[in-house]
Amino acid sequence: MERPLVKRPLIKRKTLDRIGLLFAALVMVSPVVLFFLWMISLSLKYEIDNGAYPPILIPENFAWSNYVQVFRENNFFLYFWNSVLVTGAATLLALIIGVPAGYGIARLKAEKAAIVIMIARMTPGLSFLIPLFLLFQWLNLLGTLWPQIIIHLVVTVPIVVWIMIGYFETTPMELEEAASIDGATPWQVFRLVALPIAKPGIVVAFILALIFSWNNFVFGIVLASRTTRTLPVAVYNMLSFEQVSWGPLAAAALIVTLPVLVLTLFAQKQIVAGLTAGAVKGG
Amino acid sequence: MATVTLQNIQKRFGAVNVIQDLSVDIADGEFVVLVGPSGCGKSTLLRMVAGLEEVSGGEIRIGAREVSNLPARDRDIAMVFQNYALYPHMTVEDNMGFALKLKRANPADTAERVKKAAAILGLENLLDRYPRQLSGGQRQRVAMGRAIVRNPQVFLFDEPLSNLDAKLRVVMRGEIKAMHQRIGTTTIYVTHDQIEAMTMADKIVVLHDGNIEQVGAPLELYDRPANLFVAGFIGSPAMNFLDGKIEEGVFRTEKGLILPLPAEVSPAKAGGRPLVYGIRPEHIRASDQGIQGRATIVEGTGSEIFAKLDCGSEQLSCLFRERIDIRFGDTVGISIDAKQVHLFDKTTGHRL
Repeated sequence: MERPLVKRPLIKRKTLDRIGLLFAALVMVSPVVLFFLWMISLSLKYEIDNGAYPPILIPENFAWSNYVQVFRENNFFLYFWNSVLVTGAATLLALIIGVPAGYGIARLKAEKAAIVIMIARMTPGLSFLIPLFLLFQWLNLLGTLWPQIIIHLVVTVPIVVWIMIGYFETTPMELEEAASIDGATPWQVFRLVALPIAKPGIVVAFILALIFSWNNFVFGIVLASRTTRTLPVAVYNMLSFEQVSWGPLAAAALIVTLPVLVLTLFAQKQIVAGLTAGAVKGG
Repeated sequence: MATVTLQNIQKRFGAVNVIQDLSVDIADGEFVVLVGPSGCGKSTLLRMVAGLEEVSGGEIRIGAREVSNLPARDRDIAMVFQNYALYPHMTVEDNMGFALKLKRANPADTAERVKKAAAILGLENLLDRYPRQLSGGQRQRVAMGRAIVRNPQVFLFDEPLSNLDAKLRVVMRGEIKAMHQRIGTTTIYVTHDQIEAMTMADKIVVLHDGNIEQVGAPLELYDRPANLFVAGFIGSPAMNFLDGKIEEGVFRTEKGLILPLPAEVSPAKAGGRPLVYGIRPEHIRASDQGIQGRATIVEGTGSEIFAKLDCGSEQLSCLFRERIDIRFGDTVGISIDAKQVHLFDKTTGHRL
């Protein structure tokens, strides 16, 4: 008879704790969730419902036509392809440059170089956009995707370099020493030992670089022409002076967000692991 | 297999002199243990032989080759690290064959050699596993296997047993020694554990503050320590040291305890100088007559009894092999085996 007496308050306590935690979590993420739900709601409503007061969250009729309109009217596939090319190239180039750079910086303890790279990332894009615009003009590159690919490297390379520095710093030096004793040249040490071990870090660097590049807007708005727009710019161009059609706009924004969102959901665990690498030794 | 010669080796980290002018000759096939307290430079010395640390001065020769300025990969050595340093993304087989793969050896030949090494170490069933799936002892064996497969001129071990539990350490100690006896490759082994040094070495090099204190066979170091440091470092429990002087044919400590002297000491030569009297705890016997002491610590392990005795004003550690009935606070009579006494000059620390 005694046992349940002790246990029941404990169970009650645990349930209360869980409800409390859930509530706290909900409050904290609610702005994000609310914003997202509202976007979904907007994308599924007809214009008349979008302006309604009091606001309608779930409409009686779903306006799937908003999505159809996005794809029909705006050259959406071209912009999607532009985005894929720009982000893909900028991310891959960043990995090719950034992974060895991060390795070198971590091994040589070249903190100053790392800080220089960080400063490039912290400088407001607009401050170098105009000179670069002129440079690309002289080089006759405007009208191609190259200016955007090159300038996206400002975003992607620092991310890759910094994540890889953190990752390489946590891999034990003895492994590389063992490899060099086993007869490996410095390049073989990097390729056959350091690189395979850093694979989880590379995945994280890849995903984060991809997200930041995909979502970048400022560079595109300045450097892109009508045919070289990326998706975020294309969505912005749906705002016109006469009227904002909220439904198609929200639909377009959701479509743009979707690939990144899916990627993040799948890679959640690795992203967290990668971002905290180096925080705890062996963690 | 090869000899290893270290000649006037120096190592500086910035302004800090870690190793000053150190020379050692290691014979072909010899098992040499570098031992000393942490910070004595033993690991640095090993890493310099391996080529992982640059030499600030002096010469390292493996066989006839001068290797001081060669990169690690060209020195033809193999090293076993304290934390094993197994490649986590490779199977046991790939770990062991990695060096041969780098040399572009024939794959069939590599597989053959890996299999042979695995057989020596009892790893045949683990070849497909990854390091994370192995226990500490197995990892240690793989690390040794990786070294054997190479068939290098010299084996280097950097405190390879310190991550293992006490029991496994004893087992692996035996295995490493057995491996050396079987393969006969010149071996340099670094440890801070004097028991490891005593049980495994053909020759021990005792290091302290970057200097060699003594080089010799284990029993030589135990029987005739060259100075106070070696005398205190080798042997467990540590030797008793008592300050005093020789007066009228006996040793009188500063606090007035009178102790017997070995026959070969001539009082004329050593008399009057401040000396240190050294006697190992195991060379003190229980005796009805002789010095009386009160037991302040008594620890029995079954095979022996360790006791700390308060003899007037001096403390003496004793290790009794015979089973005697003493308890805390008892008064015990002891006698010192005069033949086992070591005398050191107090100012220089050298053996008389």
